Amino acid sequence: MALDFGTPEWARALADAVNASSEYRNAGATWGVGFNGNLLFAFEAGGALPKSLYLLLRLEGGRSRGAEFVPGPSHPDAGFALRASFPLWREILGGKTLAATAILTGRMKVEGNMVALLKHAGAHRSLIHCVSALDTRFPGS
Amino acid sequence: MDRLYQLLQNRIEGAVATPDELHPALRTNFGNLFHGTPRLVVSPASARDVAQTVAFAREHGLSVSTRGAGHSQSRLAISEGGILLSMTSMRRVLATDRAAPTVDVEAGVVWRDLVRHLAPSELVPPVLTNNLSVTVGGTLAIAGIGVASFKYGTQGDNVRELDVVTGTGETVTCDRKRNADLFWGSLAGLGQAGIITRARLDLRKTKPMTRTYYLLYRDLPSFLEDAKLAMDSGRFDFIESWGSPCPQGLKPVAGRRQPFARWFYPVHLTVEFDHGHPPDDAKLLRGLKPFERLYTDDAPTIDFLERMTPVFDLWKRGGTWRHVHAWIETVLPWERAADVVEAVLPDLPPSILVGGHVLLWPAKGSTSQSRLFMRPPGEHLLGFGVLPAIPARFWETARPMLENLGHLTEALGGKRYLSGYIDWSEDRWRAHFGDQWEPFVALKRRYDPDSILNPGFVPFPAATD
Repeated sequence: MALDFGTPEWARALADAVNASSEYRNAGATWGVGFNGNLLFAFEAGGALPKSLYLLLRLEGGRSRGAEFVPGPSHPDAGFALRASFPLWREILGGKTLAATAILTGRMKVEGNMVALLKHAGAHRSLIHCVSALDTRFPGS
Repeated sequence: MDRLYQLLQNRIEGAVATPDELHPALRTNFGNLFHGTPRLVVSPASARDVAQTVAFAREHGLSVSTRGAGHSQSRLAISEGGILLSMTSMRRVLATDRAAPTVDVEAGVVWRDLVRHLAPSELVPPVLTNNLSVTVGGTLAIAGIGVASFKYGTQGDNVRELDVVTGTGETVTCDRKRNADLFWGSLAGLGQAGIITRARLDLRKTKPMTRTYYLLYRDLPSFLEDAKLAMDSGRFDFIESWGSPCPQGLKPVAGRRQPFARWFYPVHLTVEFDHGHPPDDAKLLRGLKPFERLYTDDAPTIDFLERMTPVFDLWKRGGTWRHVHAWIETVLPWERAADVVEAVLPDLPPSILVGGHVLLWPAKGSTSQSRLFMRPPGEHLLGFGVLPAIPARFWETARPMLENLGHLTEALGGKRYLSGYIDWSEDRWRAHFGDQWEPFVALKRRYDPDSILNPGFVPFPAATD
């Protein structure tokens, strides 16, 4: 059953999906090991999203330690932040744009150690796949 | 018949051809990505022909694109509607000075022919590219790197003197002192300021035999450690290394299973020696810690220099030589090299290397004085080349991955080697050349004020009076 994007249920389902993914378990095995790998996804208002949403995804060693929508554009537990407009996120989650391309061409803003992020491009691609594979009702869909 | 054909033919000794006489291969280059149909193709007989052709092009508002062996992969060595100057007709080895030692050659000389010409004298250019089928003028215009570059820099670093026909049709002799801006602007200058017609190349004495140690490394850190030792020790004449995939099966990548590999790192360390005086293996390999020492090969030096020819012949016979080549070659800062290589190789399908390979070439920054061969700061550098041969029907699938690879290497401080797949906006060109961008633009305006030479590759900004 499709879950509404932006709800606590959707965030929990995402953490479960990450933990069920053998692809992420392998690709993300070294992500968050020895450094803070928690990601803050900033879905900035635009298109069908009237108000920005911020998802904190806790990640360490190929596992998710939980996911939650947080109120503000930053969070003390986040090691990295990825900021993009909601329409761009939809392109990425729809497979039309690679997240790496969005980052490397500056369309997606990154806060945190860019080198660490780029080194683990495979982990993040796998993570994006977990998000896009989740049965989701997005705003406007 | 094109009315310009006879007019130009009357002015030059070499041959002029029209598109209907054009060999199809001349419509593209090794990349097989960009295509163009020139209005006229000129095979010059001399530097005078080149100068006359450039003057003619200016008079008639045509561009001039130079082509050697056409090994570039982007918008070089092809022409759309202009004059394609096919330099392979200028292929004379002019004079060898054994005392200097130097050799004067026309720009269309193929490196293999030069190597064979010099072999009886036991002389050799200090740096040779892996592919010897390319021309002197072609590689000098890009930079020219090879397995001895860690000692001698680029091929351009081993040039004494050049004759260059500028975009105004003037023939200029230049070296490190005379017309030095044109000299340095022609080496790795992408043919933007002038067309090299003659080069005086440094040579070095060689020994008749080589011994190559085939070493294998199973991880990048140990490979890098030994590559640095091999370079710094001064024991070896040539260093060649790769990433080599051992396929492991299929793994999901963004939900779709694709082949993946465990990567190993073969390193070939080569020394020259005289007959009857083989090198001391233990002394040469002291301190190196390969995973395995696989093989030790003795071969005549000429065979070593041509070692890649059978590989390329195999690729030609297999048909992959005609595939799309979108090579991403980057010179990386040593301290970032492992990050980049380890980010890229795990997800690189080994199948992409059918008819291609992943090159790693350790290098030293201080060996090159070239102004336009851009490389990161620092003494130790690692060249990283992903050199695939892609069937044309798969190009659009492979393209995002390769473009990301280019962006990634640049984001992590790498500088691209410009014979590969480059399709940049002005911003990326500016970033590539850094503080050399403005001098490069000034050079273009001075020597090619009408922007007729090799258009379509570097997007020079329009001059503002």
